[in-house]
Amino acid sequence: MEENKVSIEIPSEIKYIRKVSSEILESLSPYGPDEKRLFDIKLCAEEAIRNAIVHGNRADKKLHVRVSYWVEKDKLNIVVEDEGPGFDPEKVPDPTEKGNMFKESGRGVRLIRKLMDKVDFNEKGNRIRMEKALK
Amino acid sequence: MAVKTESKNGLMVCRVEGDIDISCSPDLKKVFDKLIAQKTPKIVIEFSKVTYVDSSGLATLVGILKNMRSYGGRMRLAGMSTKIKGLFEITKLDKLFEIMATEEEAIAGL
Repeated sequence: MEENKVSIEIPSEIKYIRKVSSEILESLSPYGPDEKRLFDIKLCAEEAIRNAIVHGNRADKKLHVRVSYWVEKDKLNIVVEDEGPGFDPEKVPDPTEKGNMFKESGRGVRLIRKLMDKVDFNEKGNRIRMEKALK
Repeated sequence: MAVKTESKNGLMVCRVEGDIDISCSPDLKKVFDKLIAQKTPKIVIEFSKVTYVDSSGLATLVGILKNMRSYGGRMRLAGMSTKIKGLFEITKLDKLFEIMATEEEAIAGL
């Protein structure tokens, strides 16, 4: 079991996103990450939680999102899991392709992939794990 | 989030303050829907007091640009921090938007 792992379960409501990201950021103060790393972590945590609420659980307030986070060897790990049917991350349209530039979706996953060091999804596609070095 | 609008040199400067995220993107959209309904020809959005933008904020800005282009309007973005400009670069929206370093630069020639 991961040391110092914290788990939070929230209803599928947008208003809880900032609360969770703030808790994650506050927990990192002993590790002294720079401002840019904190910005990236906040953004990616919020993108993942928002995707879980809006796309995963379709904003059904009866369904929950579980967020777990821990630090191991100066690396932050965040896992976000929803109770929806899952999705295939490979089938998310590339938002940087010419025909997709004016589309609304797809940028959140791209930002996560670019700003975090490691990103993977479970087979069902309802759980994302992200890793980011704190130094 | 707050938006202060100022008519200046024949165009509209919109200075946004705070976060542009999922909780306030609908409010931002409302402000610009009014300007678009009036077919405002030129808009500069000033970002120097914007602290955070998420993907829903980016999508809202894309929607504003799309609506402005529908009637031949032009829009420029100005004064972004390096961190926020980085998000436009990752998503290649820096190719879609005209992004200038300062408000003065954005106004000039628009």
